[in-house]
Amino acid sequence: MSGIGTGYDLSVSTFSPDGRVFQTAYAQKAVDNGGTVVGIRCKDGVVLGVEKPVASKMLVGGSNRSTYPINQQTGMGIAGVSADGRQIVNRAMQEATQYKGFYGEVIPGYVLSERIASYVHLFNLYWYVRPFGAALLMASYDSEGPQLYLIEPGGTAHRYFGTAIGKGRQSAKTDIEKLKLTELSCRQGVVEVAKILHTVHDEEKPFELELAWICDESNKEFKRVPADLAAEAEQQAKAALDEDMDS
Amino acid sequence: MFAKAPSHSTALGPGCAGPPLANPQQLSSAQASAHERGSHQPSCGAAPFAVDASMLRSTGSQPHKHTQSPYVTGSSVLAITYAGGVMLASDTLASYGSTKRYKSVQRLVKVNDSTVLGAGGEISDLQFILNMLDDLKTEDYCADDGQSLSSQELYSYLSRVMYNRRNKMDPLWNSLIIAGLEGGKPFLGSVNMIGVAFSDDHLATGFGNHLARPLFRKRHRPDMSEEEATALIREALEVCYYRDKQSINKFQIAKVTASEGVSISEPFALPTKWEYKAFVDPTRNAVGVW
Amino acid sequence: MFRNQYDTDVVTWSPQGRIHQVEYAMEAVKQGSTAVALKSNTHVVLATLNRADSELTSSLQKIFKVDDHLGIAASGLISDGRSLCKFMRSECLNHRYVYESAMPVTRLVREVADNAQVCTQRSWKRPYGVGLLVAGHDKSGPRLFYCCPSGNYYEYLAHAIGGRSQAARTYLERKHEEYPDASLDGLIGHALQALSASLAEGELTATSCNIAYVGRDQDFKELDEASLQPYIQALRDAEGGDGGGGADGAAPMES
Repeated sequence: MSGIGTGYDLSVSTFSPDGRVFQTAYAQKAVDNGGTVVGIRCKDGVVLGVEKPVASKMLVGGSNRSTYPINQQTGMGIAGVSADGRQIVNRAMQEATQYKGFYGEVIPGYVLSERIASYVHLFNLYWYVRPFGAALLMASYDSEGPQLYLIEPGGTAHRYFGTAIGKGRQSAKTDIEKLKLTELSCRQGVVEVAKILHTVHDEEKPFELELAWICDESNKEFKRVPADLAAEAEQQAKAALDEDMDS
Repeated sequence: MFAKAPSHSTALGPGCAGPPLANPQQLSSAQASAHERGSHQPSCGAAPFAVDASMLRSTGSQPHKHTQSPYVTGSSVLAITYAGGVMLASDTLASYGSTKRYKSVQRLVKVNDSTVLGAGGEISDLQFILNMLDDLKTEDYCADDGQSLSSQELYSYLSRVMYNRRNKMDPLWNSLIIAGLEGGKPFLGSVNMIGVAFSDDHLATGFGNHLARPLFRKRHRPDMSEEEATALIREALEVCYYRDKQSINKFQIAKVTASEGVSISEPFALPTKWEYKAFVDPTRNAVGVW
Repeated sequence: MFRNQYDTDVVTWSPQGRIHQVEYAMEAVKQGSTAVALKSNTHVVLATLNRADSELTSSLQKIFKVDDHLGIAASGLISDGRSLCKFMRSECLNHRYVYESAMPVTRLVREVADNAQVCTQRSWKRPYGVGLLVAGHDKSGPRLFYCCPSGNYYEYLAHAIGGRSQAARTYLERKHEEYPDASLDGLIGHALQALSASLAEGELTATSCNIAYVGRDQDFKELDEASLQPYIQALRDAEGGDGGGGADGAAPMES
């Protein structure tokens, strides 16, 4: 990146001569260096998977959450700085509550994604704040059916069939493109997500998989994938990986 | 059955805590901002307690008015404990004044997997309360730590809300019964519109206080079987229906048990008999009446 | 220490996607003295090192009781720790007022962490320079968390923070299988062992450390000097017993 040392990359309220805001790009860097997060929209719901590095074996297993419910019908997976991501999650919860109180209905996914994007965008406008170092994958299930959104530090929100962010995003995205998402059920999707995350995790560092979904099987509520199902998916993922190694 | 404000409590009567008390001294702008900076919004349950100064300030020449009487009201709620559970009952009427206006309003509501709320009084205030409880439930869901508010915590929460609203001279016009299991043991708590809260083995709100509780005192045992409890509740409902004009013969019974969790019955009617001599000739035993 | 353009304030991302000011704040935790915490299936124990700067002063208080079911040990800028403690007390008190019950530890910790995060994103603030070990017991059992200046928090079985805490962590990791079933006395023993492992010189005395614990049917309690003495004695005996070579070593004669 050509901003280093020019002085044009020190504040979010400074454009560089060729029209870039480097601080936003640097915040995106924090996301790109973090653990991989994968989201796919299957035919009956959305599956989110997060690769969490485990820093110490004294950590309590399953702690250090990175998928969060926003309300019963919506959930988010955090990529990047999780402390920053939590702040966005809190805002999303407030927006959802406010919408419910005002309109008496659950906030639709696209409304929430846009409101969240606007909030994230605010931190790209003033010199006295910095952009969030986190991107969020949001899964929702409303009258429009299951949807997957990606909200990035720059304040953009896009709807996806499937996407990945974080360190292993490139190869993860290639893998997702091979899936037939219109035919895949979430139950199968969980296994595919586990496979992808195990594949892109190349280092020998220990990591945990956090899987969450919202689908017909979860009663259209955003929940962590049941422990037995998650364990089975991981086992299948590892088996598939070993097979690839052998062949 | 709900009395008008003055008869409910002297605290709400005229002259007791008038506009001067309800109008906190206005903070100067410097004080106001200092106050803002120094105080933090507590993370739980603060919203209903917060006093919005702008709401207290009078608009125009008239002082700001709060609810002074209810409009659409529900009548008694009855509740008893029994071996391994709690049981609530109420009818499904919402009256507009003395008109039996809405006849299928559910006044027993499941709050979470171990708690039921039964409410009499202003139905719109009940709906407001239910919205708040729904937000609390969503909060628990979002925390995703497997913990949810227990019956006793909800009881405490609601009593704080009711009392704080009363102190803001803007009460929620309800009598509430919170019922559930607390550590596997039956729990009943009641709160009314001025924040009086207590817990007992059997409870009733509204007219039920006068009609059903004497029956409960005589017949209730904490170790009753479910059949006995149902029989007692049905008998109490019948008495309430005979003597409370603001009630209809369409009831629901809610149960909370360890094995089945919360269940709320479909509405049902009780067999009634109006041929009792006292009903046919109401003045028979009343001396000096014609 | 070399400096660069990106490390002087909290609202500037470095080209690598880091915030140096936050990382420096995490260094501040290491300037403090060691604090150790570990938990069993029933209890959580906090232990801190307490060196007085001179004979004429008392040592700084590093363990704070927040509520009956919860307390913290701080390392780093203790004044930041005290202000966080005030926040936590107020949160717990508010929870007790509203619900008449103890605030769930996870939710309090998240509030604290969210608070800390805000200080990493506003130009007029600085991150907290303190690490908190939060020990609590609620409906879900004993819980132990570490709250970091970055706004991250982690749940641990056992952890140590502050200067020279690596030695303590090494001890804790070596013995971690014993903790879940350990008695309260056993936990305290382990905490003191870990603490003395991090000691630069001299040995642990009842005046140079503090112990506090909380657990099932046990309100948060800090031990006074007199009640700490027996544990110190036991530690000495254990060290004397196997030549200070650690409890898992073979007997000296056999090696």
